[in-house]
Amino acid sequence: MDYRFWPVVNAIIESKRFGGTSMTKRLAEAILLLGFIGIGTTLGLAFLKAPSVSINAFESPDAQRIFYWHVPAAWSAFIAFGFLFVGSALWFFRRSDLGWKMHVAGAQAGLATGLMTVWSGMVWGSAEWGVPWDWTDVRLNTFGLLTFLAMFLVLGRQAQIDGVETRDTFSTFGLFGFVLVPVTYVATRLWQIRHPGPVIGGGESGSLNGEMALILLLGAISFTVFIFGHVLMSMRITSLEQRLERIQEAKDEA
Amino acid sequence: MSEALLSLNGVSVRRGSSMVLNDVSLDLTSGQLALLKDRNGAGKSTIIEVASGLLPLEKGEVLHNGEVLIDATGRSKRPKSAFGLTLQSDGCVGSLRVEEHLLNALDLSGGRVDVDPWLERYNLAHRKHDLIAHLSGGQRRKVAMLAGMLPGFVGQVPRILLLDEPAAGLDAASRTLLVEDLHKLRNRGNAILLASHHADFTACATHLLTGNTMETNEAFEESKGVTDNMKSSSHKNNPAFRTGFLLNQRTLSTVASNGIAGFLTLGILLALVDASAVDSSLMQASGLFLSAAFAAGLVGDNMVSMLHEHRALDWWKAHRQGIPNSYIHGLLLGSGLTALTQLGFDVAISWPLLAIGGLLTISTMVMVRWMDLATSRLARPRAAYTRILTPILILPFALLVQWITDSGLL
Repeated sequence: MDYRFWPVVNAIIESKRFGGTSMTKRLAEAILLLGFIGIGTTLGLAFLKAPSVSINAFESPDAQRIFYWHVPAAWSAFIAFGFLFVGSALWFFRRSDLGWKMHVAGAQAGLATGLMTVWSGMVWGSAEWGVPWDWTDVRLNTFGLLTFLAMFLVLGRQAQIDGVETRDTFSTFGLFGFVLVPVTYVATRLWQIRHPGPVIGGGESGSLNGEMALILLLGAISFTVFIFGHVLMSMRITSLEQRLERIQEAKDEA
Repeated sequence: MSEALLSLNGVSVRRGSSMVLNDVSLDLTSGQLALLKDRNGAGKSTIIEVASGLLPLEKGEVLHNGEVLIDATGRSKRPKSAFGLTLQSDGCVGSLRVEEHLLNALDLSGGRVDVDPWLERYNLAHRKHDLIAHLSGGQRRKVAMLAGMLPGFVGQVPRILLLDEPAAGLDAASRTLLVEDLHKLRNRGNAILLASHHADFTACATHLLTGNTMETNEAFEESKGVTDNMKSSSHKNNPAFRTGFLLNQRTLSTVASNGIAGFLTLGILLALVDASAVDSSLMQASGLFLSAAFAAGLVGDNMVSMLHEHRALDWWKAHRQGIPNSYIHGLLLGSGLTALTQLGFDVAISWPLLAIGGLLTISTMVMVRWMDLATSRLARPRAAYTRILTPILILPFALLVQWITDSGLL
């Protein structure tokens, strides 16, 4: 079934052939490349240009530069989990093929950016708190669980034959797992122990100024672009996998 | 026309990426036997599984006694009257005895008949107390066939009997007996859906289902004289609970899997933690004392993997009266491990903590079991990586530990 509720994405993914046209292939690659360049630039600016923070405010001021990677990665992880949720819901309630592709792409992108966030957070935590992980911090744990969920969905799907049973089962887990996203956000405010509050939408206490804000903004935009490129690329790969399966089925019946 | 006992209304089923049933409809009333005799891969087993409510529907609905059993929206309900079911893959666990499996099938239908004459009839009497794993393929098939057939002899209310290849692997003499028994079941008013390749059954089928069309069988031979004088009694108990308990006693699966994880955790704690440094008023203490019970629960319920054998899990699921579990053994194991941990750290046993340890093992086990059951529909359920999700249970464990510490229970 083809629900053309999102004509632009649908046109890119389903255009002409299942593998996409050469133009759409290049579009996904171009977006991804743009994202990589932005992320690289952010990293360079974070290490070379970003102002140092006060030694009174941080145990390990140099390690604070990880922030320019960690926060945008977490931001993009939430976008990826958003894709996962929307895709899961579209498959579960409407049996939309596009929804399933979004589910797969969201899970893969969520795993990649979730691991980036967790890994960078652990390095920063080791330097700042003296421990890589704080088991008493609900926000850390719920985010870690979201990453585990993405890992479960990616590994589990790869181990199964694509079919309605597989899609139903994993989209159910995708829907349940998304409950953790608002829990994580609320946890930031309710059970904030060591981990700082939200930078985006965090009110006055979470606001940044000057160069720091600019570099962080560049990072957030770059990671967002990267995520969209990743999702487009992943959806195209899923389309190609489905095309291969249809060809195999046609040969089975011949 | 009497009301249909079994109705399939415009049923479509998708398996994998292909539609294996497309808009199938049939009505089976009391005293009818419909034979499915299409070629391999035509969807005979799928129709039987759909009629038992095992498969989710793409379109349509399945009714038992006029009430929805399952429909395309996912609505599913336990039928008012239990049905008999023989799956193509037997549906019986090897660690159960022959008699136990038959009594389970009868108890699920809410009554009992004497099984001895039936075992005698099919030359299984000498195997009555044997484990099903010790039987030959043909003997195991007879047990599966009897388990699907005997509910039809319980009480006076006509039932639905769903028999998928009941004669596969049976010798000619047993097939003749089976034909005779099918006549008896039909004469009692049961509605029977039978999938088989054997030509022996054509004469006892009132209808033939080929493709999507059901037609009257011209070759049907009425056999009014074939009746039975079976006596049945009403019998209410919980066969799922009993079977779970029995299987655990017999295989020690909870001790062997959950227990080992718990004991290993306890051993590691005793080796690494200095007992004299443990202050029972600290949060770490309650976490420490409950760790082994928690680890035991994280292994999940081994019963689920045991029931994957010969699709016994599906057989139990179809009856919708519970699936065997290991909760009692989990409770005992969790309490025992908590007691041992406290003794190991030279602390006086706290009885409330023992109860919490037992309940912690059960509740953790229930969550992991739920994840295992949720993925049981997959083509490779054992490769679903559900254990990756078990860290989700650390959070409630941490909250429990916090609560124990704050409440001063220790």
